[in-house]
Amino acid sequence: MRRRVVITGMGSVTPLGLTVEETWQNLLACKSGIRPNRVFDASTFPTTFAAQVPEFDIARYVKNAADFAKSGRNVRFAAAAARMALEDAHLAAGMFDPTRTGIYLGSGEGTLDFFTLCESIAHGTGEDGKVSAAKFAEMGLKRYDGLQELEQEPNMAANHLAAECGIAGPTYSCLTACAASTQAIGEATDLLRTGELDVMMAGGTHSMIHPLGVTGFNLLTAISTEHKDEPWRASRPFDKDRAGFVLGEGSTIMILETLDHANAHGAKIWAELIGFGSSADAYRMTDIHPEGRGPSAAMRLALADASVKPEDIDYISAHGTGTTENDKVETLSVKLVFGAHAYKVPMSSVKSTLGHLIAAAGATELMTCIMAIRDQILPPTMNLETPDPECDLDYVPNAARKAKVEVCLSNSFGFGGQNDSLVVRRFVP
Amino acid sequence: MNRRIVITGLGAVTPAGIGAPALADAVREGRSAVGPITRFDASNHPCRVAAEVRQFDPADGIRKDQSRYVKKMAKVMAVDIQMAVAAANLAILDCGLPIGDAKANEPVLPTIDHTRFGMIFGTSFIPTELDDLAGPVRASHIDGRFSLKGWGSAGMAQLSPLWLLKYLPNMHACHTGILWDAQGPSNSLTTSDAGGLLALDEASRILRRGGADWMLAGGAESRVNPVMMLRYCLVHRLATANDNPPTACRPFDLDRTGQVSGEGAAVLMIEGSDVAEKRDARIYAEVLGTGAGTTTAGVNACDADGLAVATACRRALAAANVAPSNLGAVVAHGTAFAPQDRSEAAGLRAALGAAAQSVPVTAIKGVTGNLGAASGLAELVTAILVLREGRVSPILNCERPDPEAGLALVVGTPVNMKSELVLITSNAIGGQAAAAVVRLL
Repeated sequence: MRRRVVITGMGSVTPLGLTVEETWQNLLACKSGIRPNRVFDASTFPTTFAAQVPEFDIARYVKNAADFAKSGRNVRFAAAAARMALEDAHLAAGMFDPTRTGIYLGSGEGTLDFFTLCESIAHGTGEDGKVSAAKFAEMGLKRYDGLQELEQEPNMAANHLAAECGIAGPTYSCLTACAASTQAIGEATDLLRTGELDVMMAGGTHSMIHPLGVTGFNLLTAISTEHKDEPWRASRPFDKDRAGFVLGEGSTIMILETLDHANAHGAKIWAELIGFGSSADAYRMTDIHPEGRGPSAAMRLALADASVKPEDIDYISAHGTGTTENDKVETLSVKLVFGAHAYKVPMSSVKSTLGHLIAAAGATELMTCIMAIRDQILPPTMNLETPDPECDLDYVPNAARKAKVEVCLSNSFGFGGQNDSLVVRRFVP
Repeated sequence: MNRRIVITGLGAVTPAGIGAPALADAVREGRSAVGPITRFDASNHPCRVAAEVRQFDPADGIRKDQSRYVKKMAKVMAVDIQMAVAAANLAILDCGLPIGDAKANEPVLPTIDHTRFGMIFGTSFIPTELDDLAGPVRASHIDGRFSLKGWGSAGMAQLSPLWLLKYLPNMHACHTGILWDAQGPSNSLTTSDAGGLLALDEASRILRRGGADWMLAGGAESRVNPVMMLRYCLVHRLATANDNPPTACRPFDLDRTGQVSGEGAAVLMIEGSDVAEKRDARIYAEVLGTGAGTTTAGVNACDADGLAVATACRRALAAANVAPSNLGAVVAHGTAFAPQDRSEAAGLRAALGAAAQSVPVTAIKGVTGNLGAASGLAELVTAILVLREGRVSPILNCERPDPEAGLALVVGTPVNMKSELVLITSNAIGGQAAAAVVRLL
């Protein structure tokens, strides 16, 4: 009874390109998207660089650019990616039933008006170091733009896409940190499998390249502060000298359809989504379970859901953040699930050049799996120069590699303990 | 798989008090929890009333090892997260699963498979408490002005290293999951007012697909803080009637002036009926169906024809296989923000059809204010504890019902229910609408 779910459209804006194809070709060419931070003046921050999306004109993508005038970077990325995905799927308005079409995004916050917040706080802070909310409001009422403030809410990306694309069915927005868009695509797949809906727009969008975002990760010492002068070397998944992830931003949106719906309009099919697994570590707020309990459970559940064996997996898109713990535990978890076969499955981390897109990371990495299936080539893990004895798998180091790629597993593990894995396969009718 | 989904545990932390019965009592008695804001000095906010949660302890009632964890972590849990943890604890303690003996090193819930226990929370992006930022902002000043360079070199270091984690929208589930060793699926939905019912929708779907056997469906949010109050004042959503707080929130009343912000958490334990019946659990209600829809009117608008609410309700009724005329009651979102009330009424009229004239419609925000992501499940908790007595409580402060609503609004005195089937619905301005149909048992 379970319906087959296929991907018929993809759109993406990432630090490596403003289209799916551009990002993919740059990944294969080993280019890095990591540069000195130009989104805001981070010159005195511990981390001065990030992987940023190139400038683009929203008016090229949407019906009415004015609707996005107060939007944050996350919403603008999502709008561009969604429009490209719909176009790629050849789904014009009128070709889908609005109430049988939904949205599921892993989505972050909008861009905070940091100066107004801080100056209103400064205005309100008394001798005792406490903030008078009345004095805060006195300045805030004059300075804040209400609509821009609303744009911070994390459901804004989904709300904008619904209005922009005429989607009136169920829409969801989740924020399970770095696992969010993998989880979004997994749950969207389930909504289609049950037959409740025909089409889902699913993926992720996020930019934490704002002062509080970088602050938060610097304080947690989760992002790398090294290689300031050669920032493209800072993201080093699975390398012995890895020192944290590099913050990225962007959006990848996919159009998922039931196979029946896709066939009915003669859609080009990129790939089939065949498995989803989801688990929680339930261990500690800041640490991953050292035995890889959660990640291995998510991978096992995804393989079982897809009815494939570990030996059937041709490529793993790693979560591979470049933090000491993640890469070690992910390696261990893959060994737990794949046994001896773990050494034969290539696994790479595109975060080495794309940075970590947080809520948009999973969808973007799934996109690279689909392109790997199309082109029979694997994207590399860059900056893998010094092997770590605890990370001893085949990480496709430093150069793209031709390979037979039919079935891929894509992993995302979120801060806070959510683990999600997807299995995607070349479409065979 | 046609698994049936049942509700076996209720937990709530609301302005009406701690625990689901406290909420039910306030609704039954028509006692408003709305008052002047005491949490902060709101004298310059255009809206100065809110429904605040009073004293509560998220470490209450749980095992000693658990309460140690909560006490240790409380400083890195924003109030939203503390309320979520407290309500989740109450729901689990209420569901009758045996609690393991910590001294004997037993698991917290020794009779269940912890990998088959998950949770979905409706949450929101939590603004940082102003006092947390005061020191860092002060240290960032260069030449008497706030400076980003100063923030980077001196200000940020004044923040607690774990600052980010105190406010993340997935920490409700993170801490609850750690406390109860829940290793199944865990999600945090940030869909504003619709979050709680969408959490129920997703948690039910996971149980139905066999992805878990026990799920918490929860919602938690506090809107009683200077930042969110300011935001909603600036977009003119909040009530301006500050003089008599208990009457400030007036759902579907002609004299309504806007929403009243509230705060709270509501959490349900739901299970597959196979699992619940096997352990002979007390069953409060069956979740027959859920549904959702979205407005296309724009991100700060409500659709005039109520399509989002209508879509959510129709989908829930269809999933439940319930005809509108068989409903015993509707618990509406009823925020008392006029465009939202009107849109919701239009959507309910469209979904109920001819039954709109007869099915009693109530709302509880006159009592609780708008609990945001917690509201839909707080309303479901109310339905379970109050409506199962067979009577639908009147809408507090709805004295001159808007005749254009075109609904059988319950005003003044309770009305009798003609069936145990209840529709609950929530909607976020500019975004998601959600609905659930339950059978009270």
